[in-house]
Amino acid sequence: MISKLAKVVALTLLAYLLQTTAAIHMSLWDVAPNLALVLVAVVTVGLGRKYTFFMSLTIGYLLEIMLPVLDYISLILYPVCAMLGALAFSDKSERRLEEERSTGKRSITLHAHIRTPLCAALSVTVFEAVNLFYISLNGVAINGGHIGRALIDVIYSTVLSGLLQFPLRWWLGVYKLKKAR
Amino acid sequence: MRLKVPKTERRKSTDSTGRRIFRRILLVGIAVILLGLSGTHLLAVITKNDALNGPGNAVSGIMTPIQNGFSAIVDGVVNYLYRLKLRSTLELEYNNLKQENEQLVYQAMLAAELQQKLSVYEDLYEEVSINESMNPLVCTVIARNEGNYFSSFTINKGSNDGIDNFMAVTMGGALVGYTYDVSPTKSAVRTIIDSEASIAALISGSRRDQGTVRGTLGIDGQAMCRMYYLPEDHLPRPGDLVVTSGVGMSFPKGIPIGTVRESTRGMESNKQYIVVEPQADFEHIEYVIVLRYKPDAEAVQSQTGDGTQGMEFTPLDSPMPIPTIKIGNDFYQLAPTPTPSPEPTPTVTVPGSTPAPTPTPGGGNSVEYQVPLDQQTDSSYGYTLAPTASPTPTPLPLDVSVEED
Repeated sequence: MISKLAKVVALTLLAYLLQTTAAIHMSLWDVAPNLALVLVAVVTVGLGRKYTFFMSLTIGYLLEIMLPVLDYISLILYPVCAMLGALAFSDKSERRLEEERSTGKRSITLHAHIRTPLCAALSVTVFEAVNLFYISLNGVAINGGHIGRALIDVIYSTVLSGLLQFPLRWWLGVYKLKKAR
Repeated sequence: MRLKVPKTERRKSTDSTGRRIFRRILLVGIAVILLGLSGTHLLAVITKNDALNGPGNAVSGIMTPIQNGFSAIVDGVVNYLYRLKLRSTLELEYNNLKQENEQLVYQAMLAAELQQKLSVYEDLYEEVSINESMNPLVCTVIARNEGNYFSSFTINKGSNDGIDNFMAVTMGGALVGYTYDVSPTKSAVRTIIDSEASIAALISGSRRDQGTVRGTLGIDGQAMCRMYYLPEDHLPRPGDLVVTSGVGMSFPKGIPIGTVRESTRGMESNKQYIVVEPQADFEHIEYVIVLRYKPDAEAVQSQTGDGTQGMEFTPLDSPMPIPTIKIGNDFYQLAPTPTPSPEPTPTVTVPGSTPAPTPTPGGGNSVEYQVPLDQQTDSSYGYTLAPTASPTPTPLPLDVSVEED
């Protein structure tokens, strides 16, 4: 557990550092991917909501402290986006599964490798939507360029999460856990 | 019946419970710390109270050096990748430029080759056009036999194109040789440096002494010619032009063969000779012109008369060699001690004096070979092979000695 926590702490730090230093160098058509939410999505599907909450809150807090753009936005937006993704795509709890089993209701459970990019897509979409909403409230007319950039960000982040999930899940020990089961 | 739980299992269960409690406490602690930090920050932002920024500043103080180091690492990696990209771009550019340079060099070589060919064609065209009356034919050399004793080559035209044996072959305004062993589609050419070749020639100048030119390749291995049967009372000077005399084979007269290399006469089998340096470049023969010239009966008769018909013969005053001075590119003959004569007689050969025009092909007697202007060599007397249409202005004599009684 300690090692898992240490890994999550390291991953959180890495997510924050990558988001603040490396993301800009990975721009595609001048659009940087949201690496922090990508790594959060991997943790969401691999480790669950608790770690997602800790990780997203820490990243949001660090961004708010070190890289303040707007008041509260990073601190609130990152946990909100991450938790929305976790709500939709994280592993169901034992209680939820038991409840589904008892009621005979069977919901479709997607494979973890598919849920990770979908989780990242949802998180980044919400993040981009809130940002667009914010700038439109500030009087900027939203045009195709804004939408296009947002779409590129979503697609780019989704693809990155699909690629990065394999080494990260291996590093977090998710595959080992599956074998034990 | 009560089941006995082993001690190890009991210990494991206790450990598991303790670990679970510890984990919960840890997670709750972390959550509390995080929420506390976040709340403090929110409060600090809302209330604008700097005292509440303490935790944030502390976290910032911890994170700054870490971010500094990480940023330096990322910058290093990015710079390295940028350099790699730049290098690959430079390499690509270099390779492209190298390829382009190679193409340009190839094109330049091709252009130079074509330029040279064009120059050759221009010379050939000029030579053909000014000697059109001699029915010239441009041929390509298709085989060469450059041995130590014989020098001959094969051309790609034969009797089907009107070539016959013993026709003059020229290149660059100079005699190369003559045809022999003519077949319908090809002909062999024996060059003038071949010791088997024997051509009637004369030294252009005032006396126009005649002789026979033979090659020396088979005699001493040198690509030279020797001129035999010259009159004994005349000493040719180095640089005198030796041309065909038109006697014997169906050669037009006036084709330059070469120049006299030295005045000293050699002796071979009791025959005196002078060495003649051929004018043609035998090292680079690609195209030649065959003069399909056939003298008409009148010309032949005139040639076989005394051998000097159709030529302007200028007798010399003295059989002794005439002292010569050279001014610029021209040689001037100085008169020997003049003898008193009843009438004043200029005894200096006028420089640049043009010999009397030889009969042109249309004139009936014989045809004289016309050397292209850019291929003419300076003869010792400024001798012009082609008859000039208009008399050239005669410069004043340098030394005119006139004695009167």
